[in-house]
Amino acid sequence: MSDDEPTTGGSASGGSAGTSSLGASTGTSTRTSTSTSSTGTDAGTGGDVAAADVVSAPRRPWWHWRQLTRGRLRPALAAALVGALLGGTGVAWRTETGPFAGERACWGAFDEDDVADLFHGKRDVETAEIPVTTSRIGSEGPSGRCQLTSPRGARVTARLHQLDVRFGGAGDTWADEYLSARMTPLGGGVLGMVSDTRAWLAIPEGCVGRPGEDQGPLVVDMETGWTVHDDEVDTDERARLARAVVKLANDYMRDKGCTRALADPSDRLSAPARFLDERKDAVCGIEGLRLHGGRKPDGYRRPLVTRGAAPVRTCDRDVVFGHPSLRLMTVADPRLAALYKDLSFDGGRRRVTAVGDTREYSRGQGFLRDDMGLYQAECQTGEVTFLVRADDGDQAADIRALLPRYVAAEAERVGCGPLRLRMPA
Amino acid sequence: MTGGSPVDGTDRPQEGKRFRSRWSGGNRVIRGRAFLRSRRGAVATGTAVALLAGGLGTWATDTWPFDGRDRYCWGAWEEDSGPAVLGDEAFEGEDGHRRTATGTAPTAAEPRGRCVLAVRSTHTFSDGDKGTQDTRVTVTYGPAPKGAADRVEWAVEFLGGRSVPLPEGLPGTVSGSHGLLVLPERCDTRDGRPTAVTLKAEERSPEDVIGSPNLGGADAAVQLLLAAADRGMRAAGCAPAKPLRVTSPLLSLPEREDTSSPSAACRIPGLDVRADLSKEAALRVRDQVGAVTGGLQACSVRIGRSLRLGEREDARVFDALMVREPRLAALLDGVTGTGRPARGWRGTGVLTDDHQAVRARCAGRPTTFLMTGSPARATKRYFVTFTDAVTSRLGCAPVAPRAGAAGAGPSTAASAPESTAEPTAASAAESTAESAAESTAESADGESR
Repeated sequence: MSDDEPTTGGSASGGSAGTSSLGASTGTSTRTSTSTSSTGTDAGTGGDVAAADVVSAPRRPWWHWRQLTRGRLRPALAAALVGALLGGTGVAWRTETGPFAGERACWGAFDEDDVADLFHGKRDVETAEIPVTTSRIGSEGPSGRCQLTSPRGARVTARLHQLDVRFGGAGDTWADEYLSARMTPLGGGVLGMVSDTRAWLAIPEGCVGRPGEDQGPLVVDMETGWTVHDDEVDTDERARLARAVVKLANDYMRDKGCTRALADPSDRLSAPARFLDERKDAVCGIEGLRLHGGRKPDGYRRPLVTRGAAPVRTCDRDVVFGHPSLRLMTVADPRLAALYKDLSFDGGRRRVTAVGDTREYSRGQGFLRDDMGLYQAECQTGEVTFLVRADDGDQAADIRALLPRYVAAEAERVGCGPLRLRMPA
Repeated sequence: MTGGSPVDGTDRPQEGKRFRSRWSGGNRVIRGRAFLRSRRGAVATGTAVALLAGGLGTWATDTWPFDGRDRYCWGAWEEDSGPAVLGDEAFEGEDGHRRTATGTAPTAAEPRGRCVLAVRSTHTFSDGDKGTQDTRVTVTYGPAPKGAADRVEWAVEFLGGRSVPLPEGLPGTVSGSHGLLVLPERCDTRDGRPTAVTLKAEERSPEDVIGSPNLGGADAAVQLLLAAADRGMRAAGCAPAKPLRVTSPLLSLPEREDTSSPSAACRIPGLDVRADLSKEAALRVRDQVGAVTGGLQACSVRIGRSLRLGEREDARVFDALMVREPRLAALLDGVTGTGRPARGWRGTGVLTDDHQAVRARCAGRPTTFLMTGSPARATKRYFVTFTDAVTSRLGCAPVAPRAGAAGAGPSTAASAPESTAEPTAASAAESTAESAAESTAESADGESR
C-alpha cells in the first residue's frame, strides 16, 4: 500500500512501474522524470521496445532528451525551462491562484482591499463563515453566513438567505430592520436598500429564477450593528455597504454561472431621509391623515420617511434598537409583499374588508388588532401590503383611525385606487 | 469565459490568424541549415519561448485558434457561447444532431434581414418509436408590419404575453421564447418608421407549431437578441458608436400563468370573461399578466386546450396591451388612424368587434391601448374595462366614456361583476357624461387633443 502512494490513479502494474522509474531518475529535471514515467506507465510492449532501442543505439537523434540535456542545446533548454517557470509564476500572480491566492472573505467575494474598505482601512480583520449551501431537507433554499470581526470590536455580518415568509417566521423582524425608513433604495430598478448600518439586495431573478409560489426572494443582507436612533445617516458608510452588498450578490451570481453583473450603485443613491416636521392633518406627510381625535403628533417623536422610488414607503417614529414605536408602511413590490401574505390571512380575527367586495371577489384581505392594522390588496402590479403597527397595544385608537385613510391615500399613490376599507366593529 | 460576450467572440478567429503567421515566419527562418547549426541554441530558445507564450496565452484566455466553432445568423451567434440553444443541451434527441442557419443579412441598400436557426435531432425510444426535434429560432430585422391589423397582432405577440421589459431602459421586451428590440433612431427607415429586431423560438411538429422551446432562459434571450441587433446594425451600416449593451441580469422574470383568478383577469377588477363562456370552458380560463410598468402593460387571457375535445391549441379570449414607452409606441404610429374611435372616447382610434386600438394622452404622454380577440366573441367591453383600469393606475382621465353617473371611480363602478355590461351600453349610447369626461381629461393632461 505504501508503495502505491506516490502514484495516484494508475493501475496496479502501471503504478509499480511508475514508482520504479521515478526512483531511477531521481536527480534529473522534472521534465525527464515525467517522460520516463509516461513510457513506464504505458505498461504495454511498445514502451519496452522503445526502451530497448534507446539502450542499443549509441547515437541518439538530436531530439532525444539525453541529447538535449547535453552540449550546446543545454543552455537553450535551461532558458526555456526558466522562461516557463517565470511565465507560470507570472500567470499565477496575475490571476491570484496558487501561492498568490490572496485571503478572500465571505465565500470568496471580498479580497483584502474590500474588507479593508469596510473597516476603514484596517487589515487585521478576522473572518468566520458558514459556506453557502442548500439543505436537502426543508425548503429554506440556499443559505450562508459570514462574519468579519476587527480586534477593536467592530463587526459586520453578511448573510445569504431566502426571506422567511411563513406565518410567525423571521420575516417580520427582518422587515423591522431592513425596511426601516433610514434605508434608501439601491436604485436602477434593483430590489434592495441600504443605510449606514444595514444593506440588503434581492438576487436578480434573471440569474436564479423566480421564487416559487408563496416563497420569499433570495437576498443577501449585511448588518454592522446598531446605531443611535437619529436621522443622521453617514453617507460614506452607506456607500461602503452598498458596494459590499453588490459585490456579494455579484459573486454569488458568478458562482451560479451568470455572466452579467450588477453595477456599483454607490453614486446613484438618493439623499437619506430626514426627520419630518408634520402637521396634525398630515401625519407622516400624508395629506388628510390624522391621529385619533385629531391630536397633534408629539413634536419630540418626529417621523422619518423613506425617500426615492423605494420598493417600500416606510414612516417610522421613535426607533429604539431597530424597532419603531409606530410604523406606517406600504410594501409596493409584490416580491416583498410576500412577507405579509400569510399574516394578512391569519393575523387577526377582526377582518378588514373593502368597499365593493362580493362573495366571489374581494380586493384583498386584512385585519385589525390593538397593535397592528394590515391590509394586503391585489393591485394590477401584484400584491401590495399596507400596514400600521405599534410596538405595544396602547395605540389601538390611533391605528384604527389611521388605517383606512392611510390605505386610501397610499393605494391612490401606487396606482391601486380607489380603495376604501370597511373596518370591523 | 466561454460564455463571453459576442463581441469578444468575433475577435477569436483573428487571434488564430496571428498564431499561424508566427508559425510560417518560423519556417522561413529554418531555411538555411548552416544558419540553423550555428544558431541552434538561439533558434531552439526562440521557438520554445514562442510556443510557451502562445500556449500560455491560449490557455489563460481560454481560446484556441482551431476550435472550429460554428457561427449562425449573420455571424451574430457562436456555437457554445452561452445560450442553451447554441450549446449541446439544445439537442433533445440522441442522434442526428444538426444545427443550421439560413437567411439573409440586412444591407445598407436593403435594411431588412431574416435568419432561421434550425436545431434538429432524432430519438429512438425504447419501444422503437422515433421522435424528431425541430426547433426553430427566427430573427428578423426591419420595420414593423405595415397593415394595421398585422401590426397589432405583431405587437401583441412580441410585447404581450409573458414578455418583460429589457433591463437598463433599452426599448424592448424579452421572454423565454420571444424578444424585441427597437433600434436607435439612426436605424429608422427613410419614411421615419423605427426598425426593430425580433427573436422568436418555435417547436414544430411535422404538422404545425406545437410550443415555445426554451432558449436557455430569458437572460439568454437577451444575449441572443442583442448579438443579432448588433450584427444587423453593423450590416445595415447604422450601428451606433457605442454598441447597445446590457450589463445587468434581468431583475425580474415573467409571472406564471394564473388559473385561479375568479373574476378579475390580470388582477383588473371587473375584467370577468367567464360570463360569456360555457361553464366548462370557464373552468379552463387562464390569464397571463405581462409587464405592468409605467411604459408597458400586457394582459392575455386564454381558454386552455382540452385534450378530451381534441383541441390542439389554446383559444384566445383576448390580448390587451398598453404601450407608453416612446420608442415602443413609435412602432405603433398610424395603427390608431386619425379619427375619433367612437362618441365619447378620447384620442384617435378604431373600434371594431374583434380588434380595438386607441391612442390618447395619458399623464403627459401619448399612450396606445390595443386589444385583439377572436372572431368568436366581442371584446369591446373588455377593452373598456382594461383601459379604465390602466388609466386609473397611471393617474389620468379614462379614454373610454364613463359609464353611468360621472364621479364614480372606474374600478369601483366595474368591480361588481354584474355591472360589467354597463360600459358597452354606454359606449354605444350618447351620454351626457361624455363632455364631463372630456373636460376632466383636458384638465388632467393639460395638452389633450
